[in-house]
Amino acid sequence: MNSNHIVENLKKEIENFSLQLKVEKVGQVLEVFDGIAKVSGLSDIKSSEMVVFQNGVVGVALNLEEDTVGVIILGDFSKIKEGDEVKTTGRILEVPVSNSILGRVVNAVGVPVDGKGTIKTDKTYPIEKVAPGVVTRQSVSEPVATGIKVIDAIIPVGRGQRELIIGDRQTGKTAIAIDTILNQKGQNLICVYVSIGQKDSKLRKIEARLEEGGAMNYTVIVSASASEPAAMSYVAPYTGVSIAEYFMDQGKDVLVIYDDLSKHAVAYREISLLLRRPPGREAYPGDVFYLHSRLLERACRRNAKYGGGSITAFPIVETQAGDVSAYIPTNVISITDGQIFLETDLFYKGIRPAVNVGLSVSRVGSSAQIKAMKKVAGTLKLDLAQFRELEAFAQFGSDLDESTKRQLERGKRAVEVLKQLQYAPIKIENQIVTLYALTKGFMDDVSLEKIKEFEAGLIEYSERNAKVFYKEIAESKMWTEKGEEQLKKAITDFKSSFQKAKS
Amino acid sequence: MTVISNNDIARAIYLVSKDKSRAEQSVISGKIVKFLFKKRMLSKASDILSRLNVIINKEEGRVVAKVSSAKKLDHQSKTYLEHILKKRYAAKEIFLDENLDEKLLGGLKIRVNDEVIDLSVRNKIKKLQEYLTKSA
Repeated sequence: MNSNHIVENLKKEIENFSLQLKVEKVGQVLEVFDGIAKVSGLSDIKSSEMVVFQNGVVGVALNLEEDTVGVIILGDFSKIKEGDEVKTTGRILEVPVSNSILGRVVNAVGVPVDGKGTIKTDKTYPIEKVAPGVVTRQSVSEPVATGIKVIDAIIPVGRGQRELIIGDRQTGKTAIAIDTILNQKGQNLICVYVSIGQKDSKLRKIEARLEEGGAMNYTVIVSASASEPAAMSYVAPYTGVSIAEYFMDQGKDVLVIYDDLSKHAVAYREISLLLRRPPGREAYPGDVFYLHSRLLERACRRNAKYGGGSITAFPIVETQAGDVSAYIPTNVISITDGQIFLETDLFYKGIRPAVNVGLSVSRVGSSAQIKAMKKVAGTLKLDLAQFRELEAFAQFGSDLDESTKRQLERGKRAVEVLKQLQYAPIKIENQIVTLYALTKGFMDDVSLEKIKEFEAGLIEYSERNAKVFYKEIAESKMWTEKGEEQLKKAITDFKSSFQKAKS
Repeated sequence: MTVISNNDIARAIYLVSKDKSRAEQSVISGKIVKFLFKKRMLSKASDILSRLNVIINKEEGRVVAKVSSAKKLDHQSKTYLEHILKKRYAAKEIFLDENLDEKLLGGLKIRVNDEVIDLSVRNKIKKLQEYLTKSA
């Protein structure tokens, strides 16, 4: 490109430029503190309207008072001075969206922070939107394959569902979310991971892990780190769901993970208190419930008439010492369609993922579960429930009758089978094979320590020797008698060779 | 408890002293000062006064327009400007508060209350810059 060409281009651009001068409403900054600005003037401003400060930093007007406006500052507030000019924009806060945002890390206002250059965008989406109405919705019918046995079998999640992941610190909440993202390769599910108030080092680790697993191709990370002002943390989940809505509007299925909403509530509490809104229980403002309900209500499965697509939400909430009856956990539990409850005790017993099967539920997911899985999971659930009931008697050992002993042994094996390593998602077909072998009693005479080994070997063996079964599952989501026969044969064959090799 | 704002006081002052004769007004003014003293609000007097000013201007249809320009405006453009502003704000009177600002390079910038109409050359150049850098 020579200089002439550039000049010509420039000329053309300048000719195309039409100056649109508008009447602007301006105000003056009265005071700035802790990410909040009090601004005078700005008559006719709308609630949650975007404003622009003199140095280009944007803010959102949250408090509209008689002659001042309380604005949260999204960005560096150290350069905003008293007396600075503030302009209204007439729009509510927006994020730039485009398909090229996939694989990127952006901050709460959609600006890339991964050092990979600017993102070319053609559209902006408002961060606050009214959730899709009743007529546009459809009930959940497609599964989200998490690749985690306990979840896929007992607490299945459907596309469009809101499933809470709840538990104490260090119980593997994020691990479940990351495993789910890693398992979505080739599943036509775009993932948005929203990190709220997390350590930057943790986020970096997650990003590297996703990159390594090839998951960044279909993932967007929205980051509001702990070092950024509370306003960024407050906005981040809405940004995440707006990005998700952009993809849903193209008829795609999206999974959004909010990690975590307790920090989001804390950030909102900080903002509310600074804006002098009256505090309520645990000093949270009166509208924390609405804060989360309007966010999670935007998760939906839209029917084909309105363009299809879905947003599945995995909110994460951290509890303190297993207390699920605190304010935020109860709120979010009541909003979501079920929860995955993780426990410290189980975690240290070596049951990982530390899912408490008794307290975890999925209220709508079972209708999305594939038929074959439903069949094996039904008996598994029963086995585990009976096991929990009898567990207290386990120490009596020899005094128990035959059937109780059998149930105890089955339960122990079920717990063992449901253990799973991190970053090792398992294909749904393989999960069905293992659970089939378990529930039909093929594992009852395998010793507990050998279960994991048996499972790995079995999967490998049946993948080779029960091809009909695998094909049937892939095609019709259910097995026929022929496939079942073949699988049974494969399991018995493998078992005899397994036991021979050991003895 | 309802809080009485400075704005409320200014409005009250305006209403009591409206349509009163000179003599009456001076009595009222004395009472107002006494009232403010009693309520320990004399320190807020300047704020109340400026609010009173705004209220009076609004009620009497007076509009103060702050006009900044790079060069001094001639008489003709001033009357034209007054005419236009009168129509826009449905005002009876327009006060032009003129300022000279070399940085505008050319054109005018008009400010009425919190509304700004920026017709300066500097703003136009800025807009052009935004447009050119955005499309690239």
